[in-house]
Amino acid sequence: MSLMRSELHFSNVSFCSVCQVPVAEGKSVQHTVDVLHKKLEQMGSVKQGSFCVDCETYHATNVSGQPSKLLYVMHNSETPRSCMALYEGGPCIVADANFDVLMVKLKSHFQNAKGHKVECRGSRYRYCDFLIKVGTVTMSSSARGISVEVEYCPCVVPGDCWNLMKEFMQSFLGPSVPELPSVFATKPEGLFAQAEIVDTMTQYLELFNKLRKSQIPGSNVR
Amino acid sequence: MADVVNVGVNLEAFSHAISGIQALRSSVSRVFEFLKDGMKNRETLEGREKQFIAEFQDNLQAVNRDLNELERLSGLVGRPSESHPLHNSGLLSLDPVQDKTPLYSQLLQAYKWSNKLQYHAGLASSLLNQQSLKRSANQMGASAKRRPKVQPSTLVLPPQYVDDVISRIGRMFPDMTIELFRPNGTSAVLLVTLGKVFKALLVMRSLFIDRTLVRGYNENNYNEDGKLDIWTKSKYQVFQKVTDHASTALLHYQLPQMPDVVVRSFMTWLRSYIKLFQSPCQRCGRFLQDGLPPTWRDFRTLEAFHDTCRM
Ligand SMILES: [Zn+2]
Repeated sequence: MSLMRSELHFSNVSFCSVCQVPVAEGKSVQHTVDVLHKKLEQMGSVKQGSFCVDCETYHATNVSGQPSKLLYVMHNSETPRSCMALYEGGPCIVADANFDVLMVKLKSHFQNAKGHKVECRGSRYRYCDFLIKVGTVTMSSSARGISVEVEYCPCVVPGDCWNLMKEFMQSFLGPSVPELPSVFATKPEGLFAQAEIVDTMTQYLELFNKLRKSQIPGSNVR
Repeated sequence: MADVVNVGVNLEAFSHAISGIQALRSSVSRVFEFLKDGMKNRETLEGREKQFIAEFQDNLQAVNRDLNELERLSGLVGRPSESHPLHNSGLLSLDPVQDKTPLYSQLLQAYKWSNKLQYHAGLASSLLNQQSLKRSANQMGASAKRRPKVQPSTLVLPPQYVDDVISRIGRMFPDMTIELFRPNGTSAVLLVTLGKVFKALLVMRSLFIDRTLVRGYNENNYNEDGKLDIWTKSKYQVFQKVTDHASTALLHYQLPQMPDVVVRSFMTWLRSYIKLFQSPCQRCGRFLQDGLPPTWRDFRTLEAFHDTCRM
């Protein structure tokens, strides 16, 4: 089994921005998602199938009794033959999809944190050269929030098209558009490093962790 | 409408002339019929020959007579008037069933159009001649001379010279990498990589850029068999638009005597796309219009505009 992969789309991935969209006051998650879909369709976006991003959490067991680090294993339906493993505060690898089998074999070192599985499912929309994914984030079968991923497919450098992207997101998310994802800002080459698939997954992971910590808004659970 | 009257008078002569032609045809065929049958049986050989020659002469005289008659008749028919602007086609107007066969009015219409076309083509040709920078300037003389068969000498430059010019231009633009390929004989294909923005294929003929195709930085420029793909257009709308504009630029930058200057000017223009995703439109100030960034670059100022915001 090869852990490191050289699939074409990994080296040539375009710039993605993932952000959380607040659920409208007193409305359900589904209602807010419907409103977003409607806005996108009014702009002339075309629905193109669906997508899914999931994340499993593992505890690294250690003998010394120190607080253990976490390992996140993620899948993205955009790259169905691959699996991403992100080590908390450390390296990440892109591996074959059967990396999951390896994790089972390694269960003496990494323990699956049951009930920590996060899933994000939703629809894909295409508008000109943009790809927009509106997803509902679910943790232990309760909807916890909404994600919006926007990808500007022709551009590989985040710093090149961030302003353009912001203008686009404002056109359907309104003025409350997020700042440039921190994953890009913390790279040594700065904004002008080429985007990678891991950047997208890191953004999803940050969003998942943020939602996990937030209180369950009672009225929003569906 | 003098023609109508004129022709009307000669109608009888026409019908006579037609029967004259028929008579001539039948007398000529009689001659050959007779020759084919050969000599008839007679008591003596002498008699046979005599009879044959006499009949043959009769037949030939008949042909002669009919021919003379036809010549006389054709004199009567006379020449159709040449005063009509459309010459013989004016006779079409005599067709009594105008409504069913509007040939004549259609003909007049076509004639008017072709006159206009010729006039405008003449104007265009003289205008183009004043712009000696254009590529076809010396081929479109107002005089009806034929295009010169000889190719301009700049089309047969040695490949080494082309290589030198291209590598010199490549050194002028540090944010552009130019790779040169010769997949089919001496003609070069350039693969220009502009920063991390796009890759442009330029198909050359000597030092002239014949065709251009712009694709994304993350798009594939090779076929499955590893050859340069010079046909498949980009899957991104933004680069399809840039390809269109680059093709327009190829027509704009023309200077047949100095092709290396043309390549340099084109590359300077192409380089202005380095900020394709970063420059707002100089007219409306926005980044996007219908989902596209400003894809047009002014040929002189190199300023960025949306396709619909230019001019
Ligand atoms: Zn504009």
